[in-house]
Amino acid sequence: MRTVPTASANDTLAFGSERQRVYAPCRAKCPVYIDVPGYLMAIAEGRYTDALETVLERNPLPSVCGRVCLRPCEAGCRRCNLDEPIAIAQLKRAAADFGAYPSPVPLARLGFSAGVVGGGPAGLTAAYDLAMAGFLVTIYDAKPKLGGMLRYGIPNYRLPDYALDKDLDYILSLGIEVETDVSIGTDVTVAELRMRHDAVVVTTGLQGSRALPIPGADAPQVLAALSFLAAAACGERPALGAKVVVVGGGNVAMDVARTARRLGAREVQVVCLESSEEMPASADEVWEARQEGIKVDCSWGPTEVATEEDGVCGLDARRCTAVFDSQRRFAPQFDESETIRFAADTVIFATGQSADVAALGLELTPRGGIVIDADTMRASEPGVYAAGDVVNGPTKVIDAIADGHKVAAYVIRDLTQDTSRLEQLAEGAEALGSVPDSMKSKIEPKRRIQMEKLEFYEAVRNFEEIEQGYTEYEAAREAQRCLGCATGARLSHEKCASCLTCMRVCPHHAPMVKAGGFLYFDADMCHACGACASQCPAQAISLEGHSEEEMGIRTQRALEGAGEDTTLVFACGCTPSRPDMPGSEVRTMTTTCLLRASETTVLKALQSGAARVVFAGCVEATCRYPHARVLVEQRVSLLKDMLGQLGLEDRFIATTEAPEEDVHLR
Amino acid sequence: MIVVRLKPLAEICPMVAHHHRVLVVGCNTCAAVSLAGGEKEVETLVAALSLASSAKHETAQFEGDVVQRQCEPEFLEDLDASGYDAILSMGCGAGVAFIAENCQLPVYPALDTMFIGVSKGFGSWQAECSACGSCVLGETAGICPITRCAKGIMNGPCGGVQDGVCELGDRDCAWVLIHDRLAAQGRDKACSIGDPKDNAAKTLCPEWDMNKGHGESR
Repeated sequence: MRTVPTASANDTLAFGSERQRVYAPCRAKCPVYIDVPGYLMAIAEGRYTDALETVLERNPLPSVCGRVCLRPCEAGCRRCNLDEPIAIAQLKRAAADFGAYPSPVPLARLGFSAGVVGGGPAGLTAAYDLAMAGFLVTIYDAKPKLGGMLRYGIPNYRLPDYALDKDLDYILSLGIEVETDVSIGTDVTVAELRMRHDAVVVTTGLQGSRALPIPGADAPQVLAALSFLAAAACGERPALGAKVVVVGGGNVAMDVARTARRLGAREVQVVCLESSEEMPASADEVWEARQEGIKVDCSWGPTEVATEEDGVCGLDARRCTAVFDSQRRFAPQFDESETIRFAADTVIFATGQSADVAALGLELTPRGGIVIDADTMRASEPGVYAAGDVVNGPTKVIDAIADGHKVAAYVIRDLTQDTSRLEQLAEGAEALGSVPDSMKSKIEPKRRIQMEKLEFYEAVRNFEEIEQGYTEYEAAREAQRCLGCATGARLSHEKCASCLTCMRVCPHHAPMVKAGGFLYFDADMCHACGACASQCPAQAISLEGHSEEEMGIRTQRALEGAGEDTTLVFACGCTPSRPDMPGSEVRTMTTTCLLRASETTVLKALQSGAARVVFAGCVEATCRYPHARVLVEQRVSLLKDMLGQLGLEDRFIATTEAPEEDVHLR
Repeated sequence: MIVVRLKPLAEICPMVAHHHRVLVVGCNTCAAVSLAGGEKEVETLVAALSLASSAKHETAQFEGDVVQRQCEPEFLEDLDASGYDAILSMGCGAGVAFIAENCQLPVYPALDTMFIGVSKGFGSWQAECSACGSCVLGETAGICPITRCAKGIMNGPCGGVQDGVCELGDRDCAWVLIHDRLAAQGRDKACSIGDPKDNAAKTLCPEWDMNKGHGESR
């Protein structure tokens, strides 16, 4: 439909547009800016493939990050101030579990070739971006399989191989070549790679373990975290004594301790320098380690690995009174008078990682990382770039992914002069503020749905994945807790007729009139219920993912190959109940609220082959947007009236049912 | 603004029944604000008519467009009706008439024009003015007896009033309201008798052209 611009179209007072760049805080906090509310809404509506595609736009490792991401997004969730954050990462896993990975379509081949050294998260992401941009890409990895720390560092009980392989298969389906068991610098030199490729990207991560320089550290029963974890990941069983002491306070130390438990160590003790508040390990990890019977002893500085004739017999330590100085620099202070011996048959150091890239012949930092030019991400050799932990030191998986995107963008710019990706990465966005006090009482508290987990006594017996994943039903329920921040009303000033209908139907006072009769929306106040969009006569308001056009496409998809007697059910996301339509083939389209299925959507569905349309509404007790109920009722009666006048009254049915299963989840 | 509402489909369908390709034209001013003739309502009506046509195995096509105001020649210039054999206007009576005047096709009204009125809230309007051409609101405390009195009388109330309610039962008596408000403002005119309405002001004024000056047009 063509519309003639209104008089206000060219006005510079474009209120409303000023906040259209606002991101939900979850999205703003994600290092790769995944459209979190977008994929949560898709999950809430049972559209898992749409959800997965939304994640893949920014992150080629959804199955991995759905399990191991440290979730900066959840810390930003606006529900934090109300009850509990949405289980964003676990829902990402649900998208990967239930969605179908698409076939990635790369741009036309450009004739450029890139070699990526290291198949961890940064390298995989860079390879994916470069291949998508039309590069011929080869990934080289020293290990027999790709994944880097995802495969050889993170234990299987957190990230099983099949979950990693799912993402790998997707990435490699772009036609990326893989050469494994190749050590760059020894088997092949960087210079040789430069001959093969137009660009070489080094993302080898941190492969070395740092040990503490204390007496006894070279005893055979003293192990390094990374080689221990790698051996366990390969199904080997490194020899462990009955009593294992793990030195370190980070997540790697927890991984090591919990792996040691699973390999049969009777007693596992984590000893770290930091106090329990300062421990770098995530609180969840520490809690889970404790549940598995692991002791965590804080504020001890190891002084010596005590040995006897048979080997290691303990770890001596003294009290650490402070780890950092007043400027937060690492400067541990000790109380020599308070010492302890932890009995141990095996000691494993998880006290830091180091880059192991001296053989590459690139300029290195004093700590052994690769030096890059911050403006180009180029290393000291021409045509060689570096990214990820080998440059930045230890970071989160999602940070490595972000760095992979970044280095790919630089390579693409340098070789093709296309700066669009770099510009996209630089694009900032304002994050929505926290929920205003006046809104808090209007949001119903809902507990986070806990994911099924193995019991800890059971989990320590083997490396089976602890988190069992959400069922589709649980995932949809959890996703419906999302407040849809910054996905609400978007106003086109060109179309707005200033009728004020939005103001009148919004219970939250999100739309406001500015001088001159211009409307604008306060994104902080908007619940994304869709009441305004559903009533706007000028169709000037749209909701993310729910424009008339998008709903039309989804309806067509739902009706693909529909038979003579097909019933299309528009089901409110607040209820899992589905009407019984004996004898009819039922296709279901779940929507966040029935208000998102407009009169036009329904009428077009009837014309596109649905024998009848059913509105399966929720009941007041489960309704997410109670104020919208009266509008849905109005729509139902309007449709019934219209179809009645056309003699088609039997083709539209509205039902509401109370779902019993819901009660325990509320 | 002019308040309009959708005619029953049972009335619209026969009007366009013998046409093959119909352009449904919305109006993004009064009709949109009345929630009856904006883009949303155009799309809904197009979808309903298309469905009705295909349900009867007919091939009539319906398409939609919206102009900013159907009562302005410049906005109508943007309307491209080529290839259609009828227009269904979702504007007020003025819009229907003006499109009919400006194009060769048969033009039909999809809406009924109700009154000149005000918004009382979401989806609710009240008649306030009948465009009589000689305004008396100054003497009637801003309450129009032509519009809000069922009989449109100039001196009321009549004998049909009971407890301030019109004998029709669906509205307050306009004249009771007028007297009450005048009294509240200290300008009670209970005893004065108003002049009869100059109905010529309306019937003798088929158009108003300010370029010609006040004297000539009255």
